[in-house]
Parts: sequence; C-alpha cells; structure tokens
Amino acid sequence: MDTLLVLAHTEADGTLSGAALEVIEAARSVTTRIGADPNALAVGLVGEKVRPLSGVASVYAVEGPEFAAPRYATDAAAAEAICRASSTSVVVAPGTSRWMRALPGVAQRLNGRADTHVMAFDGTRATRWCYRQRIEAVLTRAERPWFVLLDAGLPYQPRQGEPAIHRVSVNLPPLRTRFGGFVETKSGQQTIRPDADLLLVAGAGWTKKQKDGQTHVPEAAKLILDFLAVTRASLGSSKSLVDLSGEGQAVLPFLSHLNQVGQTGATPRHPKGLSTCCHGEEPHVVGWRFIRERRAINLDPNCGWARGKADVLYVADAFEVLAKLNELLGAQSQ
Amino acid sequence: MSYQIIVCAGIVPDPLQTLEPVSGPAGPALKNEAMLPHVLDPWAACGLYEAAHLASQFPGSKLWLLSLAPKAKLQQVIMSIAQKAAFELLPLDGPSSGFTDSAAVAGLLADAIAALPGLDRKNLFVFGGWESASRSSSTTLQIVGERLGILDQFFGVDQLRVLENGALEILERVEGGRHQISVCDGPPVILGWATGNLPEPPNNPQVGMANMRVLMPALQRAKPVQMAPTGLSYESAVVPKQQRATRIVKDMPVDEVARELAAWIRG
Amino acid sequence: MPWQVVCYERADGLAFGVSGVATRARGIRVSFPHLSASQIPMAAPVASEKLVYLLDPHGASRRPFLMRAADRILRLFGGLIGLEHSAFEIPWTPSFLHKKGGLVLSIGQFNQWVGEQLMASGAVQIWPGMPVAEPLMDGRRVAGVRLLDQGVAPDGAPGPGFLPGMDIRAELTVIADGPVGVLGRKLDDLLGMPPGHHKRDWAVGAKMVIDLPEETSLEPGTVIHTLGYPEPEIFGFFYVHPERIASAGVFVPSWFANPVRTSYRYLQHFLLHPYLWRYVKGGRMRSWGAKSLQESGRRGEPHLVGDGFARIGEGSGSTNVLTGSGVDEAWTTGVQLAEAVLALLREDKPLSKQNLEATYVRQRRASWVEKEGRIAQRARDGFHRGVVSGLVGMALAGATRGLLSIPGSPHPVRRMEEYFAGRLSPEQIAALRRDSALRGVPLHDAVMEACGWPAVPYDGRLLMTHQDALLLGGKVQAPPGYADHVLFLYPSLCEACNSKICVEMCSGEAITAPKDGAQPGFDREKCVFCGACLWNCEQGNIAFRAGAGGLHSAEN
Repeated sequence: MDTLLVLAHTEADGTLSGAALEVIEAARSVTTRIGADPNALAVGLVGEKVRPLSGVASVYAVEGPEFAAPRYATDAAAAEAICRASSTSVVVAPGTSRWMRALPGVAQRLNGRADTHVMAFDGTRATRWCYRQRIEAVLTRAERPWFVLLDAGLPYQPRQGEPAIHRVSVNLPPLRTRFGGFVETKSGQQTIRPDADLLLVAGAGWTKKQKDGQTHVPEAAKLILDFLAVTRASLGSSKSLVDLSGEGQAVLPFLSHLNQVGQTGATPRHPKGLSTCCHGEEPHVVGWRFIRERRAINLDPNCGWARGKADVLYVADAFEVLAKLNELLGAQSQ
Repeated sequence: MSYQIIVCAGIVPDPLQTLEPVSGPAGPALKNEAMLPHVLDPWAACGLYEAAHLASQFPGSKLWLLSLAPKAKLQQVIMSIAQKAAFELLPLDGPSSGFTDSAAVAGLLADAIAALPGLDRKNLFVFGGWESASRSSSTTLQIVGERLGILDQFFGVDQLRVLENGALEILERVEGGRHQISVCDGPPVILGWATGNLPEPPNNPQVGMANMRVLMPALQRAKPVQMAPTGLSYESAVVPKQQRATRIVKDMPVDEVARELAAWIRG
Repeated sequence: MPWQVVCYERADGLAFGVSGVATRARGIRVSFPHLSASQIPMAAPVASEKLVYLLDPHGASRRPFLMRAADRILRLFGGLIGLEHSAFEIPWTPSFLHKKGGLVLSIGQFNQWVGEQLMASGAVQIWPGMPVAEPLMDGRRVAGVRLLDQGVAPDGAPGPGFLPGMDIRAELTVIADGPVGVLGRKLDDLLGMPPGHHKRDWAVGAKMVIDLPEETSLEPGTVIHTLGYPEPEIFGFFYVHPERIASAGVFVPSWFANPVRTSYRYLQHFLLHPYLWRYVKGGRMRSWGAKSLQESGRRGEPHLVGDGFARIGEGSGSTNVLTGSGVDEAWTTGVQLAEAVLALLREDKPLSKQNLEATYVRQRRASWVEKEGRIAQRARDGFHRGVVSGLVGMALAGATRGLLSIPGSPHPVRRMEEYFAGRLSPEQIAALRRDSALRGVPLHDAVMEACGWPAVPYDGRLLMTHQDALLLGGKVQAPPGYADHVLFLYPSLCEACNSKICVEMCSGEAITAPKDGAQPGFDREKCVFCGACLWNCEQGNIAFRAGAGGLHSAEN
C-alpha cells in the first residue's frame, strides 16, 4: 500500500500559504481513499523558518536560510532529503512555481515520476490536462515515488494534535545561483499574462454610444483599469475594438494589438474568462477555447455567448456591473 | 566567450487544428496525427530564437536544435523555421505525441546531448520550452538536467542577460504576474523558456539556403529511436465538452450580478 | 555551381490547398508508376460515378422556363423514372465526365505527400510561408522575384523586425501561382495576353470535408456530380474518401448574375438537399476552404515562356473547362517543363525563350492537355446566354469534340432591383439593405430568405455560421508583420457602387460593408486568398496583392 506525504514550502514567516493548506486537505481525503489513516498524514516543510503544523501525524522539516528563496538546487536537495527520510511512495504538492521547478528533478533522483497540473487525484488515478487544456486525461503510474502536483485542493479544516517532528539534514552541493528578488511586470503594458487567474475581454461595445446616446470612453477606460488593478487579471480585447484605435476613434488608450485575444501567439490559458460588451465574435476570441469557466456581460440576450459559448450570460449593462463589482472587490481586498 | 547552446524542442499540431484522442495498443494518440500540419513547440521555438540571439552576441558560439519527432513531420517543421535562425540539427526519429512518458523522452534527449562530440559542459546552455503544447507538463527538462548533472535550472524564463563577469542574470515567471530574478555563476544551465521578449525573426532566404546544406543531410541520417518501457498508463483521454449549457441571467439587479461575479472571481 | 531549385510557396504549409478532387490521374501516374491510393492519406480509387440532376424542394431557386417544365415532368412521372429524394440520377454520364480508373484525393494531403518525397531527396528547397510580391524585371526579361516585405504594419509602414523583401535572382523563374497568383497577374499586366486570349470567366469553388455518420453506407471512391441546385448555374460535387470522410463542394461561376451571390450559404443548402442530406445528416465538418478557378480554359493561356520565365499549372490556362478537371493537367504541364529544362541543361543549352518554346511549349502542344483543352475551350460560353444554353453548349462541344458550341459573352452582374424583379419589390430591397447595413452583415442571407430560402438549422457540428466555419473548418490564421493585401483603390468607385458584390462574395467574410466612408473594410486575418474579390469587382477597383496566412486546414 502507498504511503503519502505532502510537500510544502513555507512563507517568509514560517506559515503555510492558502494553496498549500488546501493541498494538505486534499491529501487528507486521498489518504482515506487509499485506505490509510487520514490522521496519519505526513507533511514535509521546507523554508527559512518552519513552524510545526497541528493536526498531522508527522512533520519532516528542512529549515535554514539557504532554503528561504526559490532555487532549484536547494529546493531539490531539501525535497529529496525529506522523501528519503520519510520513505514515502506518493508525494502530493501544490503546483507552485517553486515546486514545479524542482520536483520533477527530484522524482528522477529517486527513480520515480512526476505529474503536474493535476486537477484531481484519488491516490491511484490522476486527472490532468494536456495539449494546452484541450484534452483531459486520466492516468496511473506504476513507478514510485510518484510526485503529484495539484492545481487546486480542498477548503482547509484546521485540526488539533501535535505532530512528531523530524528535522532533516541536507547535504547541499556548492551553490552557484543567488536569489535576486522579485520584480513586478510593468502595469502600463497590460499584455496578456497567461499565468493570471482571470482574463477580462473588452469588446467594442465599451466605446459605442450607450443608452443616453453618448459615448463614455473615459469612464469605460477607468472601469476597466480599476477592475484590472483590483483583480490582477489579464486584459484582452476583441479585434473590432483594437481596430477602432487604428481608425482615429475615441478608444481605450491602453489597448494595443498585444491585447487582442486570439491573435496567433497570444493564446491565453486562464482558468476563468469574463467577456464584456463583446458580441461573441467567435473567430477572434479564439483564445476562449482554452479558458475553462466563461461568463459574459452583454445587453443583447441573443449574442453569440448565449448559444453555448459561455457558462453564464448576464444580460446587463457592463458599465453598471463593473462599477459595482470594482467596489465589492476593492472592499474585499482591504 | 563562446557558448554551446542546445535547444530541445518537440513538434506539436498547429494551434487551431481539431484534436481528437483515440485509443490504440500503445495508449491514447491523436487521430490522424500524421495528417495534421505541425509547428515547432511554441515556447521551445521562443527558446530557439533566444538561443540564436545569444549566439549572435558571442561569436564562435554553436547552436543545435535537438528534436524527437517523426522524421517526415520534422522535415515539414524545418521548412517553416529554417529561414529564421542558423542552427545544426540533432534529429531523433520517434514519436512526438504528448501522451508519451516525459522520462522516456528526457532519457533520449540527455543521451543525445551527452554523446555530442566536443561537448563543453563549462559553456553549455540547454534550452527548451517551459512546458510543451503537447504534454504540457513541464517535467522533461528537469530530468535532462539531472541526467547531465546540471543543478542550475530555471523555468518560465523571459530574459537572460550575460553579465560582465560571465555570470547569468535570469528572470523567471512566478505567481502574481511577477518575475523572480536569479544570478547564476555561469553555464552549465537549463532554461525552460516562456515567450521571452524577442519578436519572432522574419524569414530570411539567405539563412534558409545556408541552413539547407546542413539540415537536410542531418535529417536524412536521423536514426529511429526506441522509447524506454514505462509504468505510465492512461485510463482515458477525452475532449472536454465544448458546447456549454449557457445559463442566461436576465432581469437580475445590477448589485446582485456584481455580487455573483465577485464570488465567482474570488472563488 | 550545381543547379539549385528553390520553391517559394505563399501559404503557410504545403497542405493548405483547396480542390475537389476526382482525377483520372493520367499525368500523375506517369510520374508515380506504382502509385497506389493506400500510400496517400484520404486517397481512394474511383469506384462509382453518378451524374445527378437536383430539383429544388423549396422553389426558391431561379430556374429558367425550360428547366421548370422539365422539373414538372420529372415530378409527374416521378415514380416511373426513379425520382427520389428530389433528385434524378441521370442514367447516362457523358464520356467527357468519366473519371474511371482515377482517384479521389485530398489535394492538401496529396501535396503534403509529394512534398515529403521531394524534401527527402534533398534535390529541391521548398519554403512555405514565403509570399512573392512581384517579378524582378530587366526590361521584358524576368530576372527573378522580389519577396514580400516582413515586419510591417497593416498599412505597409515598417515596424519592429522590418525586413524588406529580398530579391532572389534566377536563370529561370517558373510561375506556378495559380489563376489569382500575384506573379502571374503582374506578368500578364506587363507583357499582355496573347491575341484573343482573356481571363473573363471565373468561378469560386467552396468545399467542406465531412466526417460521415458512423452508419454510412457510402463506399470510398463514390463520385457524385450534380447540377440544378442550389441554383441552376451552380454545379456540385460529392466524393467519398476512405474512413467515412467525404468532400462536398459547389462552384459559383461568374455567369451567375445574382448580385448577392455567395458560396458558403449555397454550400450549406447543397448539403441540406434531401439527396445529400440523407448521407451527411449527423456528420461533422472537418475542413472548409475556397478558391477561385479560371473558367476561360485554354483561352486563358498567357504567354507560356519568355526570357527568363516559364508558366505552368492552372495559371497557365491548363484547366479543362469541359471536364472540369485541372489537377492532372496542371501536374502534367509541370512535368513537361521539368523535362524540357533537364534536356536543355544536359545539352548545355541556355534556358532562353526560343529553347523553351522548342522544348516545353512544343511538348505541351503535342500532348493530351492541349488536345483536350482545345476541345473544351468554348464549351462553357453558352452559359452567358443562360443555363439551358450552357448545358446544351457543353453537350454539343463534348459530342463534336469542340467543333460546335454555343457562343456567348459575359454580361455584367445585374442590379438588385433588376435581378429580383418579380420576387422582391424595390421597397423590400431597400428595407433589406437598411437592415443589413444596420446589423453590419452582408445582404445575401436576408435576401435569400426573403426569396424563400429556409434558414439554415445550425447544429454547431456540420452546419454553423460562416465565421465558425472559418475557425473550426478552415483554421484560418494570419501572422502579424504583413501589410493588408486587399486594397480598394478609388473611393469614388466604391461610393458609386450599388451592389458591393465583393462583400457578398468574400469567402471568409473578410470584406465587410463600409462603415463610415465609401470603402469596404478588410480583415486580413479572415482572408483565405480565394481571390474572388479580384474578379467580382466589375470596376476592377480591388488590388489583390501578395499576403501571408490563410487556410490552415490540411484536408481540403
């Protein structure tokens, strides 16, 4: 029978992120499925500071300043040491950039295998997307240890109980890479960021005459920019809107062809997409094929989105909805 | 300074093609895969153009394209990219399917790199795509790196700068739309590229004609390779439902629409 | 230096061509003596052929009196003569239409297969995605080609990554870019056509490749040619490939004087005809594409050779307009030129106009391509007088081996009020114009439905909107960095134009009705390079230049 370990790296203060906790919860449900004791969960923690987690049976900790920053050599060494110390056969981890970088290499060191972008895992079967989210596959592996990197977990339920702590020592190779900090992508560019969670598509309707017979382009621009700021979403636009900027019309000043969803090379892979003021001009919103959850706001109940192209169509005024939405999301994030 | 840059790149069906998984004796495959037009894996192609850019900055550098793919399809892809950059070809005649085990692929790639005559590890860059448009797993390059003993690996790379002392400053995409900056002492390194910042090079006939002299003979010499046996098996591979049952929401007050959307966005 | 053969192909890949195809493959078999259909994906030997006259189940088409009379008679005696599914299978197929011993092919897959053989040989270089902008001229001598500028904005202004089109000089430039190819047309402009030759007659062919339903009874190699529906001027075809795949298509010719003619909608009605619908219902669209055909036949032949150039293929007038075949003829002319060039090179003779005339042209004139082309050349002229004259004219030409035919000259396209007189009042037409302008859509759907055509029942799998077909069927793409290749030259001419047939006819809905100002809009990302705009504008006001992108479906 397989044994399970959850691998997580800690944040700067030694605690675990929401994503990591959700994966721990998911792992708990997996242990039940594979017939193991969910309370016997083992967790491996890596970071500069490691605080023990309650409600699990054992914690394998690799702690130290070298493990503060994401880096292949140190993360891989730490994960390898934990896996060897715990002799686990199945390792579940959140699909963070840090683990995505290192864990496939760790699997190789231990003669195991890694699967990533896993949406569902029951202990023996993993469901993942391939061909850029166009095919959904369910697979099993005979090799062990099996590293399963999950895209999402389950809502975390804190539990009681002090774990047994195993401090794992790591033999590090000479380190040739230094961490140099993070840098924000310049927000002025507003390009499509394939790693964002949400894609907002702005259609030509934003620049057209509204019900008062006037255009409201500056207001449209502000609503869209505020939405992007508060959601950190990517911005895409339909072709007709980008074209207008070439014809000297009053347009959203920050749009360029880089924002045109569907232009070859800019196919987004966001999990969620929200289309506004766009009539479902299918051919040039081609990136929507690869977006999983789609909603649309449009005043026309017969637009293309209504006929099977969106999960939900809100027949409503996008100006009004976005104004309210920005308010709500802004308040929530404070 | 001159470098050896090996770009690992698979081939994938051209982006808008209709993909239909079918099950075969060896597991799932794409229906009529040989009939579909193919392109070089997009992010790996970005890696190729970045490699060409790097090579151009350091005269004497050499650039190879290492590709595991069916020979006839690789030939077609070469026609589309051989006018964009000058490179030598290391072709391995084998499957390009996204359903193969990345460990098996990585083993073949690593062996091919290790066997390269005159391999200079101290000046070696191994480039590839962050993840492929086929398997889309981002697991192959790490295994290549481990097999070659390269412990400095970077993924989601958008920028590489060679500093004055030969150190490498590398920007990787991480969560929250940010980039992580790392500084590495120098090659050997593994870089899994995202899009980078360079525009796709135009088609240059002179580059193409010069390339043809080396690429076609190399392609003709490509040896068929055997994929190592694997414990990977697929229970199913399906296309998710395309036509959605749209819920049309009319006459809902704006505030409620906003609340529902906020919950969806946050949830 | 050894001789180099370099081929520049405009499309992004070798597999992106469009054609029917059911071919007798005579020339092709000479090149591939051991050819078997099983070697080429989607190829099947021709197994059966039928010529079918389709009646109109809706009464919406415009049928001449004689045809309506024939329809009435057919319906009257329906039971006796085997009239079923609103169609009459003509018991006798004229010999000139026979494809016996031939092959059903996908031109895309055939070209891809040939390309693989060629590239493996290492003898030639083939570069797809390389549009040629114009010939390099040295007086009247062709010195090579100039490639298209890359890294420019849609208006042609240089942008990042600008690379001006390179000049490629060659001893011999072989022009094989088809009837709407830029190089061929430029040369026609510069050198003129031979006396009496013209390119007045055209058609646009549009097709779909379909996955037939699982329970289909159709055998691979089934060849069906149709006439009579959706309009009498529109011929159709239905060919069955292996593995339950079928190619179905229609030809919309320049002598079909309907000012809101369109290919896509007529293709859908063709499929919906009971005779075909019983086969395709429940099927799925795999591919879609369209292209222009030169219907002037041998009279469309330009100067075949000159100083520094030679012309082959469909753009050289090789298509047989009686049999409606072009692939094998085009192939054969290519072989003829190649053999001529090889012979001259072996004898160390220059590739001069004289020498090419003595070899290539002479061989072509003595071949079946020429002989059969002469028989065919006036076969379709009767269509300019009407459908019945056209059909009789074709039969006459076929029966007398080209000696007799019914003559005719092209008419301009009718004005809407004239063409639809008796069906739609001027007020109705004006209302339809207003409504379509408001919705920003072409006129044809509204006009056809006002004339009694039923709405197309979209199922999102086989029957879908034109735009969906572009993506799902044609996989149409265009790379950035190239200029718009369709331009409307004189605004005053567009302003004065009553019918905007370019908008109606555009295979990809890339040309849209003018919004502000007189000139129609053009979206290069939807253009499939069919070239229909070129010959549909009766003012000649559309420049159809070299461009990149287009179809990416590999099965047409």
